[in-house]
Parts: sequence; C-alpha cells; structure tokens
Amino acid sequence: MVRVEVIDNVLAPSPSRIIKIEKMTEIERLFHVKFLSRDLVERFVYRPGQFVEVGVTGVGEAPISICSWREEPEILELCIRRVGRVTNAIHRLKEGDLLWIRGPYGNGFPMEEMEGSNLLLIAGGLGVAPLRAVLQYALKNRERYGEITVFYGFKSYELMLFREEFLYLFREGDEQKLRLYLSYEDQNDEKCKRLAEERGERIVQGVVTKLFEKTEISPENTYAIICGPPIMYKFVVKELIKRNFKPWQIYLTLERRMRCGIGKCGHCIVGEGNSIKYVCKDGPVFTYWDALNTKGMI
Amino acid sequence: MMYLKLPREDFDAFFKNLQEYGKIYGPVKAGSSAYNFKEVTTLDEMDLSYNRTIVPPKKFFVGLKEKIFEFDEKRAEFREVIEDDPRKVIFGIHSCDIHALKLLDKIYLEDMADKYYLERRRNAILIGIDCHPDEHCFCKSMGTSYATDGFDLFLHEISDGFFVRVGSMKGHEIVAKNKGLFDPVGSEDIEEFKRSQKKRLDEFKLELNLSGLQDMLELAHNSQIWDEYAEKCLGCGTCNLVCPTCRCYDVIDFVNLDITTGERVRRWDSCMLRRHGLVAGGLNFRPTRVERLRNRFNCKGSLLEGMLNCVGCGRCTVYCPAGIDYVEVLRKIAGD
Repeated sequence: MVRVEVIDNVLAPSPSRIIKIEKMTEIERLFHVKFLSRDLVERFVYRPGQFVEVGVTGVGEAPISICSWREEPEILELCIRRVGRVTNAIHRLKEGDLLWIRGPYGNGFPMEEMEGSNLLLIAGGLGVAPLRAVLQYALKNRERYGEITVFYGFKSYELMLFREEFLYLFREGDEQKLRLYLSYEDQNDEKCKRLAEERGERIVQGVVTKLFEKTEISPENTYAIICGPPIMYKFVVKELIKRNFKPWQIYLTLERRMRCGIGKCGHCIVGEGNSIKYVCKDGPVFTYWDALNTKGMI
Repeated sequence: MMYLKLPREDFDAFFKNLQEYGKIYGPVKAGSSAYNFKEVTTLDEMDLSYNRTIVPPKKFFVGLKEKIFEFDEKRAEFREVIEDDPRKVIFGIHSCDIHALKLLDKIYLEDMADKYYLERRRNAILIGIDCHPDEHCFCKSMGTSYATDGFDLFLHEISDGFFVRVGSMKGHEIVAKNKGLFDPVGSEDIEEFKRSQKKRLDEFKLELNLSGLQDMLELAHNSQIWDEYAEKCLGCGTCNLVCPTCRCYDVIDFVNLDITTGERVRRWDSCMLRRHGLVAGGLNFRPTRVERLRNRFNCKGSLLEGMLNCVGCGRCTVYCPAGIDYVEVLRKIAGD
C-alpha cells in the first residue's frame, strides 16, 4: 500500500460568503465570494486557468473557472452561466448567502513559461472568463510579457461579458500596449455597429476567426491561448496553423463533466491508447500538441 | 519475504483468531456458479475454491452507495461521515483482485488522497489465496496472476495445509500473535509449493497478446469493430460494476425535510451510461454507444504509470448480458 500522510478531507468544501452579485447578461452573473475562514482567505492561492468546484448544499457541485487574478486573492470572482441544475441553484442565491468551494484544481496556464513572449488571447462567449484571469495577471505583470493581443467574440452587445472592462480596453487598451479586437455575430446589432463606426479597425461582424483578417499575427515568439465553446477550437487552431504557429505554441482550456476535480471520479477522461488524460487533473489547460496526441480532446 | 506453514488442523483456529481484526468477509456461494464476498463467521460458509466473485473487493473500499458528508447550511457545517466500520478482514482474495487494489491505491491515495478509501485501506487485512484459472481468466497475460505484494498474508494450499507468505507488517503481527499455529516451512513444503505453482501456470488456457495494444487501440479509432459490438451492447454498465479497476463515481445531495440539513452521497457510476460525458447545457462528449464502448476499452487498455487498467479477471465477459467477450474484442482490434 502506498504510504500517505493525510488528515484533510480533500472532498470537504469550505463555506464562502457571496459578497456581491453583478448581473452581466440575462443568463450570466458575476459572483464575488470570500471564504469565511480568515486562514483560508490568506492561504488560497491559484494560477490563471485553474478552477474550483462550487457547490450549493442539497443540489451539488459544478466546476467553475476563476475569472479574476490578484496576488492576494481575498475575493474570488466567478462568472457563472445559468445552464444546469447547480448553476441555476447558484443564480437563485442572494448576496450574503453561502457557496461551498473546493480547490483550486487543474494545472492553469504556464504564465512563467510564457514570460518574455507575446500573448494572443482568443476568447469566444463565456470562454472569456478564464482568459480574463490570464489578462489580469499579464497586465499586473506587464513588463514580463511582450505584445498582448486579445480577440474576443460574442453574439451581441447584450451578451458581451465584462462589457465595461472590455469596452474600456477597446478604447484605451493601447496605452497598456494591449490590442483588443472584438467580433459580434448579430448583423443587426446597432450598438456594435456604433462601435464599428467608432473604431472600425478593431471590430468586425462575424465569428471570432474573422478577426484574423483584421491584423497580422506572427508566430514569432508568441503563445496563443484559446477558450471558447468546443466548436470554436478547430476553426481557431486552423487559422493559427495557417500562420505557422507550432502545436506547442497553442494553449487550449477544456470543459468536461467533473464531479471530483481531482482525477478520481473518471467523468472527464479523454483520449485513447497511448494517451489517456483526466481533464481536471492533467488539464484543463493543454497544448494543441497534446490535442494532436490525445484523441477526442477537441 | 517470510514463509511459514499453516497445518490444516490449525486452519480453523487461525480463522477464528482473525476475528479480532474486524468482521471477516469471504467468498460465499451465491447461486449455481456465482460467488460473492459476504460476512462469514465460520470456515464452512466459504468456498475457497471459488473462481471469481460477481462484485470485486473494491466494494469494501469505495462503497457502492455511501454517505460521505452530512451538512448543515445554517451552521455552515460539512461533517465527514464514514458509515461502516473500516476494520475488516478480506479472506480469500485472489491475486488479480490484489493487483486491482494496488491500482486503486494509485488513483485514490497518490496525490490528493481520498480519506474514505484511505481509512478503510489502512484498517483492512487482506488474506490472499491461490486460485485455479477457468476458461475466462487471462491474468497470466496481464502479469497479475501472482501477487508479490499488496497483501498481508497469502495462502497457497499444499497437501497437509497452507504454504504462507507474509507480505506486510500487519501480516507479520498476525503470525506473531498466533505463533503456536504456524510451523517453519520444510524442504518438502517448498518443493510442493513450487510444483503447485508450476501446475497452476500450466492450467491457463486463455491468452491475450499485449504487445502494441495501445497503438492497436488508437489505430482502431474508426474501426467497424466498435459499431459491431456497440450494436450488441445493451449499455447497462454491468461491466463497470463487476470490474475490479473501474472506479468512476457520481455524487448526489439529499436534503432533509427541514431543508437546511442533508447529506452528500457518492455512488458507483458507469461510463457505459449516456450521461457519463454529459455537461450542463446538454453537450455530451460521448453521445453514442460506439463512443462509450470505445472509451471503455481504451481506458482499460491504456497504461497508468506503467499499469494497465485491466487485471484479466474475466468478470466483464462472464457477466455481460449481451455476451460481449472482452478478450475477443481486443483480439479483433489487434488483428490476432
């Protein structure tokens, strides 16, 4: 039998208080949460791209990526779409109510490894949540990274997440050496059209891959980081490969059913034969090289 | 390794003395040719010449359905619960099942150890026993037909008793406490042990060629073979329940009538069921039976830090209600 020294129960969640709830869209809300335990508030550190299991007693838990990054977290921000049993229950909660949190889990993005390189972040819809943590980290440590380019695609102005923040970066981002490009799908979206009138070189109507036509993207010393709905990956990766990105210059973060978050419950298994991975433990961040070698990843 | 002899006349006393380590569970006949590990108080209740139990011994370490927490929302409390007495003696476990537990140990104990599993594993005594392969056993091919560790005591039957291997400190403690019941092994016993092992190895009929299996599985991604078997498969998940290395679990909360207290329960899950790969919003990462069947075979045939997720016990073949033969599928995949 393997020798282990454990006393902590890794499946035991910690109570945390909902400090603030911001309505972002009809189906998405931003929850600001803080652990009740002072000790945990101080001890809890995480990397951009990691996730937590968020639970509501009597309903269950769901894996949610942390969408903020601060050196001393204190308050975690979780952007949650009301889409399943657990997330619907979370949406019914009010400020002051409890959420039960375990984590952080997963590998997160290799922020240190990417130091000295340019970053190209490509987000679709709710995929912007984990990339926002990457962006906050990179902006906080601005001198460690080269050029930062962000492609953010959404359906319509109303469904744009973190709208104020990203509109600010859309207008003023260049001062922080950040180029933000936006894409919207709804052709009749008047508000987006107005943005196009304001700064046409940075916004386009169509899917997020259309943004590749807007600017020259060079693979030279650059890492691409992608998060979006599963369907998006293949198309975005195709554009990157066309521009000579190597598979290991492309990072993806994946979604799966995850009950435990620690590589035991088995639901997030992916791959075949030589390469079987647990998305929760070996990921959720993988390179496109991993995806090429692990069948069914994207 | 320490070797001892347990004479047949001492066997009963040895068994009785094991009761101080907890309840004893052994292989009991459950139907015409089926067995299960059940609580026993006498030797006669067991059939130690059993081929395999329906449900593998994993049930002693991860409950089929077990309460893991009781919660109280008002008091912001999550209280850990271990429902059963973790002190147990598993009597008569076969080598393949010992290997399966070693694999579960890797999953459950290395990195983010599972407390429930750990508590039970720490407190359980495993007494292994030699077996004779039937037509569905292929543990010899899987390298799991003999256990060199992972047990406390291992009994090999010889003409006038058992040749005993002591595999752990707990095992050592048991024989030390029962000193009077054991004899040192003589050269005749050693010869007999060797002969019986040789004879046992010759009894294996079923073989599976493992060389290149992982590549064969990957290369068979688009093979018709999966469609063929998915057509037969009922998607019932029996193969998962009877598999000694399958360990997927689901978690469910139950609320009491006061709506502020309740319990969190986990139960065995099955990758053959449709909802295994389903995420909120309705997207299913393994929506078809073909994908689920292929996933199961790939999971079993892949290496986990050098260990295969299959120990060759034959249960999935024996208990598949659709008659899917695990070895036959892999042979077709490999083109054997």
